[in-house]
Amino acid sequence: MTLPLKGIRIADFTVHNAGPFCTQLLSQLGAEVVKVESAMRLDAFRKPHPVYGRMGPATFDQVASNKLSVRINLKKAEGAALAKRLVAVSDVAAESFRPGVMDRLGLSFAALQAVRRDLVMLSVSSSGQTGPDSHFAGYAPLFGAWGGLGELTGYEDGPPVEMRHVMDHTVGMNAAVAVMAALHRRRVTGEGGHVDVAAREVAASLVGEALLLAAAGGEPRRAGNDHPRMAPHGVYPALGEDRWISIAVEDDAQWQALCAVTGIAPDARFASEADRHAHRRELDGLVSAWTATLPAEDAARWLQAAGVAAHASWTTPEIAADPHLRARGAVVEVTEPDGKRRAAVGVPMRLSKGEDIGIVRGTPALGEHEDYVYGELLGMGRAERNALEEAEVIY
Amino acid sequence: MSAPLDGLRVVVHASGVAAAYAARLLGVQGAEVIFVEPPCGSVLRDEPPFVPSGEGAKPTSALFAYLAAGARSIVCDLTAEEGRAALGGLLSACDIFIDDTPLALRQAGGLDEPTVTARHPQLVHVSVLPFGSHGPKAHWKASEINLQHASGEGNLLPNGLSVELFPDRAPVKIAGHFAEMQGGIAAALGALSALWVRDDVGGQFVDIASQDAALAVGAFAIQRLGDGSIEHRVERSFRYGGVVPCADGFVELLTLEQRQWDGLVKLLGSPQWALDPALADSLERSRRGPEINRHIREWAIVRKVDDIVAEGQKLSVPIARYKTPAEILRGSQEHHRRLFQPVPVSGTGLVNMLVSPVHVDGTPLSLRGGPPELGEMNHIPAEVLS
Repeated sequence: MTLPLKGIRIADFTVHNAGPFCTQLLSQLGAEVVKVESAMRLDAFRKPHPVYGRMGPATFDQVASNKLSVRINLKKAEGAALAKRLVAVSDVAAESFRPGVMDRLGLSFAALQAVRRDLVMLSVSSSGQTGPDSHFAGYAPLFGAWGGLGELTGYEDGPPVEMRHVMDHTVGMNAAVAVMAALHRRRVTGEGGHVDVAAREVAASLVGEALLLAAAGGEPRRAGNDHPRMAPHGVYPALGEDRWISIAVEDDAQWQALCAVTGIAPDARFASEADRHAHRRELDGLVSAWTATLPAEDAARWLQAAGVAAHASWTTPEIAADPHLRARGAVVEVTEPDGKRRAAVGVPMRLSKGEDIGIVRGTPALGEHEDYVYGELLGMGRAERNALEEAEVIY
Repeated sequence: MSAPLDGLRVVVHASGVAAAYAARLLGVQGAEVIFVEPPCGSVLRDEPPFVPSGEGAKPTSALFAYLAAGARSIVCDLTAEEGRAALGGLLSACDIFIDDTPLALRQAGGLDEPTVTARHPQLVHVSVLPFGSHGPKAHWKASEINLQHASGEGNLLPNGLSVELFPDRAPVKIAGHFAEMQGGIAAALGALSALWVRDDVGGQFVDIASQDAALAVGAFAIQRLGDGSIEHRVERSFRYGGVVPCADGFVELLTLEQRQWDGLVKLLGSPQWALDPALADSLERSRRGPEINRHIREWAIVRKVDDIVAEGQKLSVPIARYKTPAEILRGSQEHHRRLFQPVPVSGTGLVNMLVSPVHVDGTPLSLRGGPPELGEMNHIPAEVLS
């Protein structure tokens, strides 16, 4: 067996990015994910996104790829009934509507448990299923704002910084861990369960040490690129327009190595780590004077060869072309429906007994897999499916 | 009902955030976590910031406390045969081993993949390194800031108001240990996935790179590259909304759907400029974003955050306060969700610590305790541990 989660089926009602990324990761690990969608309200990737230069539906979408697609109009009672039939043959049901929506659709955890006793249900929402803010609408930048990550990120003398889709996907990856943990419990106890992931709390969990500090009376605040211990530590200009290199001198040995590579004199001001931190702005100036004359890649390579933590500040094309990421399968090639090849991001792990993990198919067409799901899995005949299509239930 | 991972035992040997965070994620789901440390303690114990402590008390690293909360500590000197044998005993009696020893040092400690696999064929062995254990950069060093810049998001921040104010400054990193924690989350997922098939295939080696994990959560930049668009921190700002300064703080405002824009117009008091029929079109709104933002900022700067957020959320406008840590700690939502649990921190006493963003069956998860004292398990006889 080379796909660890082969045999797990997920009925995927998630929308936007956080929930879909969770199920997409699990699909890359071998789970069969059936994406439930409808022409009534097309998923964002099936619509144009002109801000990013996409004037039609996505020909490849990261979080929809690798999934099977069926149409169900959940606004109809018969649609909810069909959804329950799908859940009945699934191990996991995942959703990311606002709390209360699944209940109104007749698809609460209790209702779904009635058709699949050991179901693991995942609910992803902005603030959690309970509490005074549970009805709040939100997207990634709001999660970061509520959770403190946005407030703590930014220049010391500037405003907070909004988190983008990395925030959504962090929620999704946390949710994937929680689903796997619940599946393990099911295996041991025979019991399913309801997993509730709050996106704003995921943001807070990423600054847990700052929250602990605040709870003990400290006052964590924005610090730009500074580190509370290391210096030099930062992002320094490199040769060329908008080119940068990140450098972090982690200990005395790396400091000496940095001096040897850059020619910076290790004078008394910089004798100890505490001294260097106290004089970090002077050090930043010295390091910048060296880096500004060099291509970022060269400077990083020389510093790494001397044992100093450094990396060029990469743009997306540089990442997509990187031999290391390609060798690891972190960046892969996928094929679009018209045969065009493009880079995509793989599942972030390598398994010694799971060499087949990763993306095996692109973005499905709306309802592409209904013959398999409705015909084979649910045993529905053509006449029944036609009637449901006629009634705009399969729609 | 039991915690999801009750009965599972995890051994972690960590000098970095990613591996320790992986163990924490499994621990908070119910696994027993044993933190293996050298005689001088994990270097994470020396990482600032430090929790304010009583006079004369050795301050505790807030980072270590957060990462190791609920774990137990055992000292194994892996430079000595006795220490290596003790670790071997632990590995024989655990399900998952998480290790971030640099590749060059693994063989000497008996921690390389072939040795661990040969001795513990049923073990899920999770390697967590900045660039992974395979590939041309496997031996490269990286701290958090390097990982953010090796995986994309580093170059793409700040955006919005911050880059508008400081367009010529160097990119700014996400606070804390964002990329390393992605490595930890991916490691926890890898560990549980490998464990899922252990009965069928035996143990296996899970190779995690924090760079891969940080890239995975930034996958849309690669997707947009394929769509023909190269993101840049200046251009990728939302055309209007974003970080908005108010009289007493900042809010985040983001309207992506028509009904949300309609709600925003109401929130603003339906001013004449917003009723321009041309603005009913989302593309036109994007085009006139700076003009819209000017109006929004003029309106917001004389109003208080709480008033704007309460009214906005009533109108289903996605809007949120940029909360400080202190505000989060006293938040009613967080209190209701029991996001924080008091745990003992040496030299300080009971301190509220974030537990987990996950509830199971309507109940928050819980921590087994605070950070461990160094070597607190060493007095326990080996046979009890196996």
